Amino acid sequence: MVDVDVIKKKMKKLGFILFFGLISWAGFSQGNNQEYVKKVLETPEVELLYSYYSQDGNNAAVTGGEGTEKLTDMTPTIIVSIPLGEDNVLTLDAGISAYTSASSSNINPFDGNNTASPWVESSGASKSDALTYFHPTFTHSSKDRNDIVSGNVSVSAEYDYFSIGFGGGYTHLMNEKNTELGISGQVYLDTYKPQYPIELRQGFFDNRITGAGTYSPIFSEFNALKRNSYSVSLNFSQIISKRLQASLSLDIIYQEGLLSTPHQRVYLQDRSDFFIEDFQLADNVEKLPFNRFKIPIGGRVSYYLNELISLRGYFRYYYDDWGVTSYTGSLEIPVKISEKFTVYPMYRFYTQTASDYFYAKETALSTYKYYTSDYDLSAFNSNQYGFGVTYKDIFTQSKVWKFGIKSISFRFNQYERTTGLSASIFELGAKFIMD
Amino acid sequence: MTKATYTLPKILNSIKPNNIMRQLIMIILGILSLSSCVAVREYDKVYLNDEEMILATKSLERFETNFQIYREAAAGANGGKTGGGCGCN
Repeated sequence: MVDVDVIKKKMKKLGFILFFGLISWAGFSQGNNQEYVKKVLETPEVELLYSYYSQDGNNAAVTGGEGTEKLTDMTPTIIVSIPLGEDNVLTLDAGISAYTSASSSNINPFDGNNTASPWVESSGASKSDALTYFHPTFTHSSKDRNDIVSGNVSVSAEYDYFSIGFGGGYTHLMNEKNTELGISGQVYLDTYKPQYPIELRQGFFDNRITGAGTYSPIFSEFNALKRNSYSVSLNFSQIISKRLQASLSLDIIYQEGLLSTPHQRVYLQDRSDFFIEDFQLADNVEKLPFNRFKIPIGGRVSYYLNELISLRGYFRYYYDDWGVTSYTGSLEIPVKISEKFTVYPMYRFYTQTASDYFYAKETALSTYKYYTSDYDLSAFNSNQYGFGVTYKDIFTQSKVWKFGIKSISFRFNQYERTTGLSASIFELGAKFIMD
Repeated sequence: MTKATYTLPKILNSIKPNNIMRQLIMIILGILSLSSCVAVREYDKVYLNDEEMILATKSLERFETNFQIYREAAAGANGGKTGGGCGCN
C-alpha cells in the first residue's frame, strides 16, 4: 500500500530542490551568455494562483443520490517557468486542493454528535482531505521555433487516491506560423485506497438498526484498485485572417480499472430499507464498468473586433460508451476599459444525457450488472456565468523582491445545474517576472 | 479449439459514418482548406498576438475546468484533464 505521507514529504522536498536549484541555474546561465539570442522565455516567471469553490445541492452520491452536497475547496497553486538556455523552458506546477465535504463526511454518519441523516454533516475524518500535486513540464523549441517538443510527469496524492502520470507532445508550425498541428499523449496510473461506507465494512455492528428482517447488503469489496487512463490529443489551429483564428481538438481517451467510486452508496428498489436514526443503510456501492472510452471534439474561435473588444468562443461535442452525449458552448468577451484594465463577461452552457447506468434512488434492481445514483452522470443542463478583471503592467513597475508584477487577474463564476446543484468559484492570480 | 473474437468498443459501433463522422470530416476538411488561404505575415499579426486572442484556456481558468470535470460527465478537448489523475469522472 502506498504511504501517502511519505510521498507528500518527498514531493515537497523535491519541489524545493528543483525550484531553487533551477532558478539559480537559470540566473547563472543568463550571466554566461556571450551572444544575445532571442529566447523562448526571456526571464523566469512565477504565477501564484488561488481559487475558492463552494457548492450545495440535494443529490449527494455518497448518500445514494439524496442528501446534502455541501462542499468547499481551496486551491493555492504556484507555477514557475524557468528558461533553460535559449530553446528550453521548464515549468514547475505544484499545488494543494484542500476541501471539506458534507457528503464525504457521511461515509461514516454515526459520529454520535448529531442524529445521523444524509442532510447533516458528520464530524468523521472523511469530512476533509487535501490533494497535493506536482507537475513539471519540459519544453524544447527548435531554432526556427517551428517545432516544439514537450514532456511531463505528474504526481498527485490524497488520502484515498494516488496518481502518477507522464506524457509528451509534439507541435509543428508551418505556413509562416499560420498553421499549427499538434499531437500529444498522456498516461495516468492511479490507485484507490477505498473508504467504503461504514455500514458495509467488515465487523460493522449497531443495535439501533431498524427495518424489516435482517440487514444484509449485497456488497463485496473491489478486488482491482488500479485505474489507468490513456489519452491521445490531436490539435489543429489556423490563422484565418488578421483578426480571426480558430482551432480544433480531438481527444481519444481510454480508461480501465476501478472506475466506480468505492464510497458512493446505492439504494435498490428490490431490497428492504434499513435505518440507523434517519440514515438509510446502503444496499451496495455503485457498480460501473471497468473500462470507458471517451471522444471529445472541441473548437475555439478568437476574433479581434476592435481595439476595445475581442470575442472568444468555445464549442465541444462529447461522446462516451457509457451512454453520455454532451454539448458545451461558451463565450467570453474581453473588453479593454483602459490601457491596464480588461474586464471579461463570460457565459457557458452545458448539456448532457444520462449515463446508461444512472438510476435515481431506489429505482435500480439488484439484478442489474451496473448502477449508480451519482447525479454527475444524470441528464441535466447547466449554466455558468460570471466576469473577470485583469490588471496588466507590461513594464512591471511594481516590484516584489526581485520580481516585477506583470499581471493580476480575478474571476468569479456562478454555476447552476438543473438538478438543483448550485456552485460558485472565485479565482485570483498574479504573474511575476524576474528582473 | 475456440476462435479468438474481437469486438469493437461500443462507441465505435454506435458511430454512424453518415452522420457524426461525416460532419467531423467536413469540419476538419473545412478548417484544413483554410490553411491554403494567403498567410498572414508576422508583421500583420498585431491583433492576433493580443493576449486576449489566445486559443487556449488561461492558467486561471484551470480551476473552473477542474470543478467541471467533477460535476459533469464530459471532459477533454479543452486543454484540461481528460480523466485520471484525480478521483473524478
